[in-house]
Amino acid sequence: MNNYPALIVIAPLLAALFAGLAVWIKERLSYPIALIGLAVSAFSAFKVLMQVIDSGTIQYRMAGWAPPMGIEYRIDLLNAMVLLLVSGIAFLNLLASCKSVDQEVNDRAGSFYTIYLLFVTGLLGVTATGDLFNLYVLIEITSLTSYAMVALGDRDRGPLASLNYVFIGVIGASFYLLGVGYLYLKTGSLNMVDVANILSGIHGSSTVLVAFILCMIGIWIKMALFPMHVWLPNAYSYSPIAFARVVAPLMTKVMVYVMIRLMITVFGFDYIFESLSLADAVVWLATIAILAGAVMALSQKNLKKMLTYIIVCEIGYMVGGAWMGNQLGMTGAILHILNDALMTFALFLVVGNMVYKLKTVDLVDLKGLFGKMPWTMAGFVLAALSIIGVPPTCGFFSKWYLILGAFEAGAYHFAAALIISSLICAVLFFKVFEICFFEPMPEEHGHMDSHSHAVIEEAPVSMLIVSGLVSLSLIVAGLYSGTIVNTIILPFLK
Amino acid sequence: MKFIGFVIVCLTGALLLYGTGEFPDWGDPASPASIHLSNHYIEKALEETQVPNLVTAVLADYRGFDTMFETAVVFCAGLACFLLLRDFSRKKERFYRHTATGVILHVKDSKKVLKTGKEFEHMDKDWVPSDLIIKTICRILIPFIQIYALYVVAHGDFSPGGGFQGGVIFGSSLILLAISYDLKTLLSRVKEKVLGIFAALGVLIYVGIGAICMPMGGNFLDYVKLVPLVPGDPHHIRALGMLGVEIGVGIAVTAAMAVIYINIVSEGRHDEGL
Repeated sequence: MNNYPALIVIAPLLAALFAGLAVWIKERLSYPIALIGLAVSAFSAFKVLMQVIDSGTIQYRMAGWAPPMGIEYRIDLLNAMVLLLVSGIAFLNLLASCKSVDQEVNDRAGSFYTIYLLFVTGLLGVTATGDLFNLYVLIEITSLTSYAMVALGDRDRGPLASLNYVFIGVIGASFYLLGVGYLYLKTGSLNMVDVANILSGIHGSSTVLVAFILCMIGIWIKMALFPMHVWLPNAYSYSPIAFARVVAPLMTKVMVYVMIRLMITVFGFDYIFESLSLADAVVWLATIAILAGAVMALSQKNLKKMLTYIIVCEIGYMVGGAWMGNQLGMTGAILHILNDALMTFALFLVVGNMVYKLKTVDLVDLKGLFGKMPWTMAGFVLAALSIIGVPPTCGFFSKWYLILGAFEAGAYHFAAALIISSLICAVLFFKVFEICFFEPMPEEHGHMDSHSHAVIEEAPVSMLIVSGLVSLSLIVAGLYSGTIVNTIILPFLK
Repeated sequence: MKFIGFVIVCLTGALLLYGTGEFPDWGDPASPASIHLSNHYIEKALEETQVPNLVTAVLADYRGFDTMFETAVVFCAGLACFLLLRDFSRKKERFYRHTATGVILHVKDSKKVLKTGKEFEHMDKDWVPSDLIIKTICRILIPFIQIYALYVVAHGDFSPGGGFQGGVIFGSSLILLAISYDLKTLLSRVKEKVLGIFAALGVLIYVGIGAICMPMGGNFLDYVKLVPLVPGDPHHIRALGMLGVEIGVGIAVTAAMAVIYINIVSEGRHDEGL
């Protein structure tokens, strides 16, 4: 029997529990336990992706019960890709985090790793499951763990940011749950495929419409689509950096995945784009989200905050692409899940290196950083170019598909917003480059300024290697994006 | 801002009302929820799982995977309370009480270590003497509450009950001890370390039972595959598996309840608290 699909989720869960035991017995063991758990998970995800590419969708019955009765993991090309992405990023981040966890949450590192593993378990479970209620339970785990992590961050502002996040996050989750309740009333089932089959006969029902709207609003709150984004910037910028590096690239992207999953598998394109006429409104909303995110990013004085607003902007790209109602737009949105996760991860790794050395990353603190941390800044330049969308990097390709999709759907406003926001990102990042490259290093900075002007104070090697690898992967993902689209995304959409 | 909030509330309410328009009738036997899956559970659960309590069969077997994560949520809540609230810093001022006379010593300099004999005990400023009647009554009650909790856990698969309920009842007996005596009495009987280990161990029992099924050749949580490991009638293997996971749930919930209570009432200092 092939147990890899379950192992993807169970390995980090088991590791979390053993790490939780290690907190009380020998705290230093929790880090290697966490590494092993995530390595097993990433390996299983890789195996599953290969299997799915070879032989199609995998169905895994939990406890051996057939789907509508029991819970089923249903892994197709889209899940398999996101699963590998999530487990890979979580593993790499853990490799890079050892030092910064010691620096930030030294006395409770064991509990930190336990919560970290539970968070990753939640994300993986959300991605793998084929059951609407199971999805909710795992959203609950991801949310609960991220509330705890955010509160653990900045001593003064972390708890307040976390409280805001709790209020809004709980509302989002309950909207989704309410939507699932409405669906259950009309279908009597929780399995996604089963629900979809029953729904295809009752498209006109007002209850189904309300269920759809509630689910979408719940997920939008969780992914921080523009008017519902207020929790995100503070929550992500005041959490411990080792956690920010994994939550920023993954949480929102997994929620975008959930939205796409609900749209394609549960409600179906026919229902959304033919029975309903909401698509135009949502594309407009996404357009506003893109512009608002970009403009708010422009007004930030702190690098971390600026990046969090860029996330808000990127969410707009993906939502807009998914609601374009054509294959090109959806391809762009799915490709952007992958690319944006990598880009954001690369950026936050770099910021992690800076925070490790500088403690604060207000833009004024970054003066002369090219001289001090050349390797880190090289990674930053690559990631920034990718966010802007300069051709050989992966950011360009997904934006290209999104623009093509927008033209095909006649959503010229969306294409315009996309280009404008790219320009704003260019302005933003070149502003940062300018500060880091041309402005002289402040005199009082560093204790060795009697020796030479440019004191190289790089981050630890483990952090540098990971951030270097991820930055290079941006180019690799760009060069192979044709392969990704042809082997994963297009066969999935057919 | 208030006005915008009002408008949003009205819109949401209108949306929800609009959705109720096509609800099945109240108690309608032909509604989708009562004809699609429920029938299968009601007709087949006893035959397939050998467990007379249908709710437990759905909870711990058909949808046991959900319940496992719910237990993980409880564990996670306990751990989050510990992680955020636990305060290991030493207090500035310390108080000692002479047990025989009730005279209190106030030590203002925290650097000085005061060595006391057995006739003095460490205490807090906001200590309240506990009442003899309350103490005695609770001392009599607590063992019965705990026995009852064990019954509830053990009976989960035959009658109403189960790990969550039993765990909560057991946890409340610990909390009652802390309220009627003081937090230190509880912590001297059940160490913080024990609670921490048990919270993780409880979930580990659940996940472990599930995980053992995988090398035995089944899917995750497929209790049937445990037959070679468990002596006795193989027909009851699903019931036994459910009992195992319910015990895990009970342990995890008990420990998590106690951890949450202890950390919240004493603001993580683990002194006398509430």
